[in-house]
Amino acid sequence: MNQDEKLSIIKDILLTDEREFTSSIEKKIKSLEKTINEKEKLSGKVDPIIDDKLNNFIKEIPKTLGPTITKTLKEEIKNSQDAVVEALFPIIGKMIKRYIQHEMKLLSDKINTQVNNTFSFKGIFRKAKSKASGVNESDLILQELSNTKIEQVIIIEKGSGIVLAEFSKNITTDEDMVAGMLTAIKSFVEDAFKKESQNLQHIDYDLYHIHLQNFSSFYIAVVISGAYNIIYQDKLEDKILDFTSKQKVSDILNNKTLINQKLEDFFNDDSI
Amino acid sequence: MIASKKIVLIGHFGVGKTSLIRRFVENTFSEDYKVTIGVHISKKTLELSEDQSVSFIIWDLEGQDDIKKTRVSYLLGTHAFIYVFDLSRPSTFENLKSEINYLHENYSKIPLKVVGNKVDLVNKEYLTQYNDEFDDLVDLFVSAKNGSRVESLFSKLAKELI
Repeated sequence: MNQDEKLSIIKDILLTDEREFTSSIEKKIKSLEKTINEKEKLSGKVDPIIDDKLNNFIKEIPKTLGPTITKTLKEEIKNSQDAVVEALFPIIGKMIKRYIQHEMKLLSDKINTQVNNTFSFKGIFRKAKSKASGVNESDLILQELSNTKIEQVIIIEKGSGIVLAEFSKNITTDEDMVAGMLTAIKSFVEDAFKKESQNLQHIDYDLYHIHLQNFSSFYIAVVISGAYNIIYQDKLEDKILDFTSKQKVSDILNNKTLINQKLEDFFNDDSI
Repeated sequence: MIASKKIVLIGHFGVGKTSLIRRFVENTFSEDYKVTIGVHISKKTLELSEDQSVSFIIWDLEGQDDIKKTRVSYLLGTHAFIYVFDLSRPSTFENLKSEINYLHENYSKIPLKVVGNKVDLVNKEYLTQYNDEFDDLVDLFVSAKNGSRVESLFSKLAKELI
């Protein structure tokens, strides 16, 4: 046995552990390479960690991103109201349609009940009233069912459209603007028909009816919600005439506070 | 105490009546031109002193090339007129004298302010060139675009009406 062979034997004896260690590291590196390079194996290891992180992130969204999202949404809605209306219109339209269908069914049931009571005192009285006034019995039933309310009364100076007095229950519109627009519409319509003796008598606006009654230097606009038919119109005209004559409105037109008070006292009650 | 006053703005098409009102009421200006159809009504309250305010109900009438074509019923009960013309378009003030005369003859008791709008578009030489046409008729040169003298126009009017 020469020197080299002896040295080789000594090397084998001394480096056995290191070789085994190197071999095990090589195996581990190969396994890691496989895990990284093969998608399925990598996802098997990484996915649970990501899922865990994602779940935590989702849970934290209301706390971390909630206020920012709400603020952004609010701003977006505010800045693009037309677009929001366009988007919501079909949905809200359906909701309203369904609501109206429901309400119409209720109304229909109520009318049926009223009609079935034909031979009650109220029914006979209604029939007589219908014949005397020329208003359909169905209209009278509808008026009984609907809650006609006086929402706003405005005394307006003719020509200028300046508000002389006003009484309002719930309406929050600017009475000066309403009075101005009513006067402009009145002027236009009355001008267009070119008949000085004729006046615009009422305007329908959305859910409201605006009854207009003329006097020499002013006119009174009464905003009404609910049913507005010829009988109600007739009674309202009488009530307004009653108010102007009893309260001597023409004499106190310069005292806005006083007329405002009188308007409230007189029109606060919906009965006419 | 608040006194309500009806102010009517008249003048040719596109002279800037609506812009003038928008500048006064909302302090805004838009380059987009939208023609006024019929009448548009705005409101602004001007505080003159602690116990005195004027609420302007401003009627912005659609433009007319001839003042006589203006719907008379819109002018009823007016407390003051503002006649607006466009300084940059001579066609809007070539009949200024006759238009103002018409107002003086038919509404002699009603205060009138004659206003040349769009002063930001012209220079001093230009104004001097048309001096004869403006004569003593014009009260103010204003600009709805930059707001020059708009507030002062309405303040003066408010003081005159009280």
